[in-house]
Amino acid sequence: MKTNRRTPTATNRQLAVRLAVGRALGRARDLDDVYSAALDTLAECLDVARASVLLFDPDGVMRFKAYRGLSSEYREAVEGHSPWTPASVDAEPLLVPDVTREPSLERYQPIFAQERIAALAFIPLLSLGRVIGKFMVYYDAPHAFDDEEIKLAVVIATAVAFAVERGRAEVEVRRSEALTATETSVPSVDRWEWALPAGADGGERPDGLPSGTLRQVRHRTLESSLDCLKILDLDGRLVYVNRAALEALGVESTEQLLHRRWVDLWSDKDRTVVEEAVARAKAGGMGAFQRPFRTTAGVLKWWDVVVTPIVDAGGDVVQILAVSRDVSAPWKADAFQAGQHQVLEMIATGAPLPEVLTLLAHVIEDQCEDQVCSVLLLDADGVHVRLGAAPSLPDDFARSLDCQPAGPLVGSCGSVMQLGRPVIAADIASDPQWEVLRDVALANGLCACWSMPVLSSQKKVLGSFAMYCDTPRGPSREELRLLETAADLAGAAIDHHRSQEALRQSEQRNRAILRAIPDWMFVLSSDGMYLDCHINNPDGLLVPPEVFLGKTIRDILPASLAEAFTRSFERALASNEPERLEYSLEVGNEEHFYEACIVRCDNDKLLSIVRDITDRKRAELDAAAQRHELAHMNRVMILAEQSGALAHELSQPLVAILANAQAARRLVDRSPLDVGEVRETLDDVIKSGKRAAAVIHRLRDLLKKSTTALQPLDLNEVAREVLDLTRSDLLLRRVAITTELSPRMHPVLGDRVQLQQVILNLVINACDAMSTVEPAERELTLTTVADDDCVQIAVADRGVGIPEGELASVFDPFVTNREQGLGLGLAISRSIVLAHRGRIEAENNADRGATFRCFLPLANGHVEMVAGRAD
Amino acid sequence: MTHFDPLNLVVVDDDEDVRKALRRLLRSMGHEVQVFASAEAYEDRPAAADCLIVDLRLPGLNGFELRDRLRSRGSLIPIVFITGDGGPSPGDAIAHADVPSLAKPFSDSDLLEAITRAVTDSAAIR
Repeated sequence: MKTNRRTPTATNRQLAVRLAVGRALGRARDLDDVYSAALDTLAECLDVARASVLLFDPDGVMRFKAYRGLSSEYREAVEGHSPWTPASVDAEPLLVPDVTREPSLERYQPIFAQERIAALAFIPLLSLGRVIGKFMVYYDAPHAFDDEEIKLAVVIATAVAFAVERGRAEVEVRRSEALTATETSVPSVDRWEWALPAGADGGERPDGLPSGTLRQVRHRTLESSLDCLKILDLDGRLVYVNRAALEALGVESTEQLLHRRWVDLWSDKDRTVVEEAVARAKAGGMGAFQRPFRTTAGVLKWWDVVVTPIVDAGGDVVQILAVSRDVSAPWKADAFQAGQHQVLEMIATGAPLPEVLTLLAHVIEDQCEDQVCSVLLLDADGVHVRLGAAPSLPDDFARSLDCQPAGPLVGSCGSVMQLGRPVIAADIASDPQWEVLRDVALANGLCACWSMPVLSSQKKVLGSFAMYCDTPRGPSREELRLLETAADLAGAAIDHHRSQEALRQSEQRNRAILRAIPDWMFVLSSDGMYLDCHINNPDGLLVPPEVFLGKTIRDILPASLAEAFTRSFERALASNEPERLEYSLEVGNEEHFYEACIVRCDNDKLLSIVRDITDRKRAELDAAAQRHELAHMNRVMILAEQSGALAHELSQPLVAILANAQAARRLVDRSPLDVGEVRETLDDVIKSGKRAAAVIHRLRDLLKKSTTALQPLDLNEVAREVLDLTRSDLLLRRVAITTELSPRMHPVLGDRVQLQQVILNLVINACDAMSTVEPAERELTLTTVADDDCVQIAVADRGVGIPEGELASVFDPFVTNREQGLGLGLAISRSIVLAHRGRIEAENNADRGATFRCFLPLANGHVEMVAGRAD
Repeated sequence: MTHFDPLNLVVVDDDEDVRKALRRLLRSMGHEVQVFASAEAYEDRPAAADCLIVDLRLPGLNGFELRDRLRSRGSLIPIVFITGDGGPSPGDAIAHADVPSLAKPFSDSDLLEAITRAVTDSAAIR
């Protein structure tokens, strides 16, 4: 049974039910009491007028054992019906909110209608998971069962089933004991040597005993017996009562009892049993029974009673002897054991701490004569004391203990918690520790307090368990043992509660963390089966959890992706290191991008944390596209830069081709024809044709036109645009970027895209220069400075610097230290800057790396700029 | 085709393919041709010629510089400039727009016409 997530009212209600059932069943002395207690509790807790308890008989037929508000006609009609058989295992409650809508009960419809039953519930009574019976609740109107009702019903059913099994076992034991007793002692009882002399004045004397020596001896024997002995006449009236019996009955002299009917001393419900036993003895047999009986001191004791006949010499029954033995102690021990079990069960099922401690106090109190118990808890701060449970302490006294600092304000218990050892205040009236609380204690009739520390399994003080006594005395050895047991149980309960609480808090914390994490989490088996998942936002999931849970990645994902995952799983399992996998999936006609981090967990399982990176990925792709555009620009620029050279390159072979071809034409017309000369000429034509073709190949990447648009620009803004564009690239390259942008930048006149290209080239160049440097040292500083007649933008790196002798040529085309790239970036940058009437410089930094500076004139200065560079 | 007495011609061009092809073409027209790969090479062994055909863009001395040196020594030898992109270096096209030059590529008739005009003009000046 799950007990978490209770509402406060539910807790109180369940507490009430547990205690009610526990106490009712604890006091039950036979199975009928058990059934009756169960029905009482059901009626009270579930607020139903009609209920019944049924058990399987030895033939496996469900039979009514007790009921409330059911007609005999109804009982006959349904007896034997059961949704379960004795072989049923782990049956669950069956709820029928409306009997007219339950096909399986169709044949009972007429009797339901007649009995006005509209709804009902079958609650199985389980013993070791096996159905031993059921109890039923009936409603006049259709009834929607709520979870709480079902929980309560299950609580009651568990307790009832336990009590029934226990009761049955006891009946068995008692039956076999009774059998043994009959076999061995009955003959001697039958020949009771209490031979009353025939004709002697038996019955005449007030004590009904024979006279003489024998009489005196027997009298003493009777008197000194610890058993309660009573002799009855054949009418059942008391003719003799020994001292033990007088004490038990709390009567001063026999006079008050003699000639009263023995049966009248018993309570109404016990009389039948007593009368039966007496009748049996009167008929010459033996009657025996066990019944509770309250002594005049108010203590309920359990008596084992044997009623036997006293026969005269002729064998006639003349009187009846009743011997009652106090068997409370074993019963108490049994009850204590049962109580402890119940406490442990509550601890194990996670019942709320106050509930467990309250039951514990009751269980201990049931073992005592008049003592009442309290459990105090020491706060985690080690100072403050809370009231754990004190169900029988006077309210105002109990309240006075709560929320006090450990010490004299909480009497002996305060010292216990400070000292960590038992403290016995045998007389509160004179005990110095009770100075503060003395008056209120005494006013409530509390005269002694024996307190035990409650320790955790690590021997840390968790609180105290105290017993208050109404007489000033110290505890007996037995009472001390009881206290120790109580403190142990309380320790277990508090320990368990605290660890559960810590667990719950950590779970709550984990849940809170999980709720806050946008990533999806999947737990998979080593062969790729989805075992569990945590999905905060299912948007972007390929299929919902109910579809993929229990299936494998091969069932859910495209084959190639499943294969990639399988390989990642294998590596994660083998290496114990997180595995990363980036992939894309088409979800709802849109391509989504994901990043999975896979780690081994629980030894042979895998935790896959998946993040939807679609947005980031799209931004990256956009940036890549823009960078591509700029790279394209670079090629446009280089072509424009080199257009003269390219034209020259192309015209040379054409000149040669044309000249050779025209020469050949003349050679052919000559006579005699010099074939060798013609061949040589044509060979040269071919050679030059190939040369021209090579030039054309170099022009293959001829680029589309772009237009130059001059406008006043804020260089800071241009720089920021470039940084936005390259941010992900910088991250990828693990380059830290620092910007120091001058707040007072004057506008420059320029082409936005071309100036972006310059800055981009400088940034990329700086990054490239640092690619061999430790990532931690990759720092790029972008600075803008406003001067009087120009603005300056500088890009500084911490890279390898520019080799000696190459500072002058660093802006030449094809000069590069990089493996990839054309070495055009700086050349292009320079041509752009020059076109803007600016200049660009490179220098090595004093410590390491290089700085590239670009100076651009202000917009209100020279504005005639070279336009259409890239046309 | 204009009929000429065979002329002594000199071609100065750094491109071997161009040099060789022009020599072959002019020889096929019946002229005597000597070729040089640079202005310096021609100046080392200046051959007597009726006309110089000079590439404007040359390593070392360019076409204009060679002309200036010849004129400064009093030589009035006619010169035909040929050019790949309009000037001795990128961007010079406009600065020397007044100088007659033959843009590459050109046909045999273009070349012959340019040579004829140069020789004729030179003769007229003289």
